[in-house]
Amino acid sequence: MADNNANVSSDRSKKPLMTGYMMSTQLLEIDGCNRCQECMKWCPTFAVRPDRPEITPMYKNAKWRQLQSRQHGLRAKIFGEKPLNDDEMKAFTEDCYACTTCGVCGTVCEAGIRTVELWEAMRPNLVKRGDGPVGKQSFFPKLIKGDRNPYMAKQEERLCWVPKDAKVNDSGDIMYFAGCTAAYRQQALGVATVRILNNLNVEFGMLGKDEWCCASALVRTGQREVMAEHAVHNIDALKDAGAKTVLFACAGCLRNAAVDWPMWYEGYIPYETMPLSAFLRDKIKNGEVEYKIPLNYRVTYHDPCHNGRHLMHLKGKDWAFEAPRECVQSIPGVKFQDMVRNRALQRCCGAGGGVKAGIPDLALDCAKARVNDAAEIQAEVISSTCPFCRLNLIDGRNAAESSIKMVDIVEMMAASMGLDTKIPENPYTKFQSQDVLVCTPTECKLDTVERKAPGKDLVGEAH
Amino acid sequence: MAFYTLGLTFELVILLTVIVLGMWVYGIYFNVKKWGIGSTGYHDQLRYSFWLFIATWLHEAFKDGVLVFLRTAVLDVLLLRRTLARSPIRWGMHMAIFYGFLTLAALSGLGLMIDIVEHFNILGLAEPAEMAKEALGLPFDVFGYLLLIGATIAVGRRVLLKFVRDNTTAYDAFLIGGVFLITITGFYAEWMRGNAFLVGNALTYSIYAPHFALIHTLLALGLFCFALPWSKYIHVIATPLTLLANRGGE
Repeated sequence: MADNNANVSSDRSKKPLMTGYMMSTQLLEIDGCNRCQECMKWCPTFAVRPDRPEITPMYKNAKWRQLQSRQHGLRAKIFGEKPLNDDEMKAFTEDCYACTTCGVCGTVCEAGIRTVELWEAMRPNLVKRGDGPVGKQSFFPKLIKGDRNPYMAKQEERLCWVPKDAKVNDSGDIMYFAGCTAAYRQQALGVATVRILNNLNVEFGMLGKDEWCCASALVRTGQREVMAEHAVHNIDALKDAGAKTVLFACAGCLRNAAVDWPMWYEGYIPYETMPLSAFLRDKIKNGEVEYKIPLNYRVTYHDPCHNGRHLMHLKGKDWAFEAPRECVQSIPGVKFQDMVRNRALQRCCGAGGGVKAGIPDLALDCAKARVNDAAEIQAEVISSTCPFCRLNLIDGRNAAESSIKMVDIVEMMAASMGLDTKIPENPYTKFQSQDVLVCTPTECKLDTVERKAPGKDLVGEAH
Repeated sequence: MAFYTLGLTFELVILLTVIVLGMWVYGIYFNVKKWGIGSTGYHDQLRYSFWLFIATWLHEAFKDGVLVFLRTAVLDVLLLRRTLARSPIRWGMHMAIFYGFLTLAALSGLGLMIDIVEHFNILGLAEPAEMAKEALGLPFDVFGYLLLIGATIAVGRRVLLKFVRDNTTAYDAFLIGGVFLITITGFYAEWMRGNAFLVGNALTYSIYAPHFALIHTLLALGLFCFALPWSKYIHVIATPLTLLANRGGE
């Protein structure tokens, strides 16, 4: 066995550094880095791992340039190529994956490097060479291809949480793409969404078993193969359902549907992707939303990277940053305050880019840092629009022994509107684990639902 | 001609310049070909070509139209808007180096052309050429000081700020040290030659002025042209190209 490992390692060291997944303009970006160090000031993972500067964008660019020059540099052309060192490649792979692909480095980059795209192009090269991914990330392709979701759940049970008296169509102009987490692990979000849309008399449909995982985890971790199937399937399913507007209450699904799916799809896409918060904000402005119960809490808002920085250029800053804030601020009783780092310069929760699955301790430390940001302004509730931010922030909150609760803005709105958000009993009830609002006709209180099923999910984080 | 000393002749200087420029052009070609190792699209096939990069870059840079390209060129490349948004001091430093360096390089090229006209008395313009060269003295001084200020801030920042210093590598030091060295030797050569702009004649030492001017010239040619494609100097070309390809970035 040891010999086999040695052979594999030796074979790999003969492999060149792959570059095919990087666009030629991305290879230009590597040389375009002027090493101003601005990215280091903002990087959320470096903030909690200050002894590892090599995980920052500037150092990763430098390392890639160095590795590439061994095969394509002037010296390599004159004296011949140098093989890559296994230990060095292993270290670089770990550095490369110790990144949540939050994109704050791209936002502050003086050279205008599109860093998220750059890291997501580096990773498949490492995967192809056999260096990546890291940790439990390697389970993603098999899980997602096998079950079409990362929770090993049954596709037929995607809508098992929908209350019997709720009206959900199979097709229509407006489709709600719930995502795997709302379907199987944070069903309170799904129920709240359905209840609000019904309350507002919005005719909408859901794909049910034809809704496959958005496959964000695969793109983020550089494992692109299964991605194509999911992108094409979901787009076709939404087209067949007659969608003109597709609503997302999950930031990760939204980013993938808006940015990544179209890159794998060759036909015309007739619908627009839209964050649910933007849709609801319009309803609030039109006076269609009627609140009944005040939520007397100090609330802050955590901008998910996927709904904010990743989408601000595609959908506009208003949809990315202002719409969710306006939703929260519309709720009676809410005392809203932003954290110091907000909107385009927000601090990532630490879950993205496959970090939660691949390097969980790093994700946890990032989450603690974000919870501390909220604690600094004495927030009682961190609201958000991303189930994964929420999941990770809850873990960070628990680790930091803080009393702050994490609630999705849709659930806050549903609670304040006095809607019945009780989740029907279903095969996944025991897996529910989240902070919730428990309401009487006059008052809502924060509570935490603990997971009743033993153990943890094999892959706790899919975005 | 201050640097025609130590056996150096006009013809040798021209030859040296041609060699250096040839190396520079080859270096840029080499880098463009290296960038061409990538693909043309998100999940396109791997290629390896000089023209692939050019085509991909053009496609990306003009994706949003000519107006966006021009806006990016002015605001992000020429005015360094993104740097200003992050740090006014770094912006001042970068602007000083950027415009000081580029203008001095352009003035040097112009000076060489005038030298050629003067040397061969092309169209009988030797005398006006001599006068034109003298007229270049002031812009050389102004942009020289601009570059000196920028280079000094760059060196000072890397030396005085601990975080910046700790994350400075040889890659950075070679660039900043090179720029500073070229600038300061240029000034020193001028001061030795008796150029009294801002400093008086305290440093005049005309016997060795040509030697120092020669050192400056060789450093400028060597570091700028030989080293540019193979070191951090490449960002002078790669960063504007990146900004344009990304239409200003995130």
